Amino acid sequence: MSSSRMRWALAPIAAVGVISMLAACASGDSGDTADSGDMTSARDTLIFAIKEDPTCIDPQQSTITTSLNIGRQVVDSLVDQDPETGEIVPWLATEFTSSDDLTSYTFTLRDDVTFSDDTALTPEVVKANFDALFALSSTASLASQYLAGYESTEVVDDSTVTVNFSAPNVQFLQGASTMTLGLVSEASTAASAEERCTVGVIGSGPFVFDSYTPNDSVVITKRAGYDFASELRGHQGEALVDTIEFPIITENGNRTGGLESGEYDIIQDLPYADEARFDTDDFRLYSKANTGVPTGLIPNIDHSPVVADEAVRKALILGTDRDEIKELTAAAAANPATSALTSSTTGFVSQEDALAYDPDAAEELLEDAGWTLGSDGVREKDGQKLTFTVTAFYAQDVLEVAQMQLKDIGVDMQINITDAGGFFGAIASGDYDFLSAGLTRTDPDALRTLFSQAAKSKWAIIDDAELEALLTEQASTSDVDARMELIAEAQALIIENADFVPLVETIQLHASGASIEGITFDSASRINLYDVRATS
Amino acid sequence: MRRPFTGWRSALAFLAPKVFQFAFVIWATYTVTFLLLNLLPGDPLIAALSVKGGDATPTDPEALRELRAKYGLDGSLWERYAVNGLAALRGDLGVSIATGQDVGDMIGRALPNTAVVALLALALGVVVSIVITYFAYVAKWKWVRNTLLQIPPFGVAVPAFFSGLVLVSVFAYGLGILPSSGSRNPLSVVLPAVTLSLPVGAIFFQVFSAAVLEARASSYVFTAVAKGLSERVVFLRHVFRNALLPSVTILGLLIGYLAGGTAVVESVFSRDGIGRLVVDAVLARDANVVLGVVIVVSVVYSVVNLLVDLSYGLIDPRTRPKAARRAVQDARDKAVVEA
Repeated sequence: MSSSRMRWALAPIAAVGVISMLAACASGDSGDTADSGDMTSARDTLIFAIKEDPTCIDPQQSTITTSLNIGRQVVDSLVDQDPETGEIVPWLATEFTSSDDLTSYTFTLRDDVTFSDDTALTPEVVKANFDALFALSSTASLASQYLAGYESTEVVDDSTVTVNFSAPNVQFLQGASTMTLGLVSEASTAASAEERCTVGVIGSGPFVFDSYTPNDSVVITKRAGYDFASELRGHQGEALVDTIEFPIITENGNRTGGLESGEYDIIQDLPYADEARFDTDDFRLYSKANTGVPTGLIPNIDHSPVVADEAVRKALILGTDRDEIKELTAAAAANPATSALTSSTTGFVSQEDALAYDPDAAEELLEDAGWTLGSDGVREKDGQKLTFTVTAFYAQDVLEVAQMQLKDIGVDMQINITDAGGFFGAIASGDYDFLSAGLTRTDPDALRTLFSQAAKSKWAIIDDAELEALLTEQASTSDVDARMELIAEAQALIIENADFVPLVETIQLHASGASIEGITFDSASRINLYDVRATS
Repeated sequence: MRRPFTGWRSALAFLAPKVFQFAFVIWATYTVTFLLLNLLPGDPLIAALSVKGGDATPTDPEALRELRAKYGLDGSLWERYAVNGLAALRGDLGVSIATGQDVGDMIGRALPNTAVVALLALALGVVVSIVITYFAYVAKWKWVRNTLLQIPPFGVAVPAFFSGLVLVSVFAYGLGILPSSGSRNPLSVVLPAVTLSLPVGAIFFQVFSAAVLEARASSYVFTAVAKGLSERVVFLRHVFRNALLPSVTILGLLIGYLAGGTAVVESVFSRDGIGRLVVDAVLARDANVVLGVVIVVSVVYSVVNLLVDLSYGLIDPRTRPKAARRAVQDARDKAVVEA
């Protein structure tokens, strides 16, 4: 296949991408919330159209973004994290310390906090939360990752509580800032997992669940007397609107049309293709890259000799053009993927130079490794074709661009788009050459979750002892600077050894009418609606 | 009254095969769906877990083994077939693995939403079909009649995805007089029902108008016209009733079409309902929900078709069983005598 023809075919698409990017740049910085300073809302009820059924509205159990975006408004956490600096600050706990080996964390609780059922936040309730959550095990899969190695929670005195782990748990403190480890009342900890999913939980947050009709809507209402906001919020006291309705509008066109016609105030997941249309004075756009590992190719070297060949994996890194992938498939506000962590993650270090697009070098690398070009344009070595399959359940467009780029260097990449069940089924059975997906986690420990061969949650099957040692060491390093150095080393190593081929950063892109103010992202790129209000 | 025993027996002879057929359809649907769900490649447990688990879906074999036992997915195929089937007979449709909700509750919640849209669409489609057919029947010019009769292929040919979006653009975003989606507003049922009524009405129209035109050429209409009856009276009193029989049959079959059609309409208009429920459940390989919906829909389908079968006798006395026909004849004789 001639590469020039391919480029001609891509030219119009690329042109559209470039133009929309220029348009976005010209119209100023999207995503900024220009606070007017007036902390009252002109309207009592806001309508926030969400893109899918949250399925389970308990933020401790669910891992899907839609559910977490709602759950965040209902539960408060022990600590909060500044999304800009990554600094952990007090929230329901006024003080927090950890042991040097990261096996125990001690929190001093605020003494005035109550849940919406008027029970008080006590060390006993914290203990009940973690005990119940750990008992849920894989039913609350993300929480069980944050609580890995959980041993016990000790009530030290009336306001102090210590959480103990059998092994160092570096991600716990950051996990404690998320809604996944948000605190619920004692009554909620005693309820069954199913009941918590459908009826919701009782939290100490600025809103309470009013109703959840599956496949239809969720409604939350303001909690009277709320006064426990963290210092990172724009105001203190009660939330600014009385009611937020979340109708479940699965069809993209209905959400965008409804935002335009004023039926909805805020919509979740504005399709990237509509970004330019809404980048006007009448609307506000909100975008932030998911934290964690960007979408990319994750190898299983046990499955195929092609994948096991380091030269091939290195050629994949050199032969994929992340700038072009970003232009063709991602939001204008997105950054190209430049590391094994996304640019919004604490500890991110760009590997831009090692990831620069260089198809000539890729071809040279393959030639040197003995992969010669066959008559059909696909390289081969000892009768083995340079072909492999990528298993994925989203971002098909991203893979198609990569597929075309790799074809230019004689690599035949097949795409197997399946559903989420098929994807995780493949991981469980180890039946894949490459996976393509990203992992959303607040802490850079996401690298260990995905790449450490000792982790039960691993997706990558690789053989990299040096990386394994680094990932293990960072997980027990309490000194933040020292740990971030290890994280930086790990990122460099992953790209150097081609343990991962980054492709694109996934952006959370939401939109609202121009009169809506105060929507902010937390450190996990989830939404906080405590400060939200309408100006007219 | 004079021959109660014979009447009872002949009613049984009339009903028994229909009831047997009714039971068979439900059993066969359950069996085929169960087998299909279990023959599909992939792990239904992981598919269901991923709905809530997102990128933290457990893949550790040990955790999966525990969960399999917890959800009763560790028995043999035949064990599960028998256990599920017997539970369904008792009215227990089990629990959804993906959402943890009771399947009976999920269906009970979604069914009324779907029924409202489906019944409204059906009523709208039937009424409009009859009106258009009437105008085609009484039309003085042939070209008017032909134009009117060309409407239904249009209704069938335009997919609901397209007509739905056009309706939303015009009436919700353009004129702003109807809500575009969801079910927060009671008026939100209008656009989905209109969308669904297009294909449903078109299918009914084709059958009904063909029957009307056939009747138009028949000798009894000739006689009626010769008697000097007006076209309206001929249509309403003679043609309409005779054209109703094939049309009622198609109504029964349309229930199946409606069940599928609502899946599309509910997606386009982001409404809760049986269609969306089953689409989501299939994607999550949520066997209990799929089986539950299939059983409920097949019961509805069978009941409606049973009613359609029984209504033949009401519409056309010639199709009644002998005893019933005799009763009608007796009644007529009596009426004549009394008159």
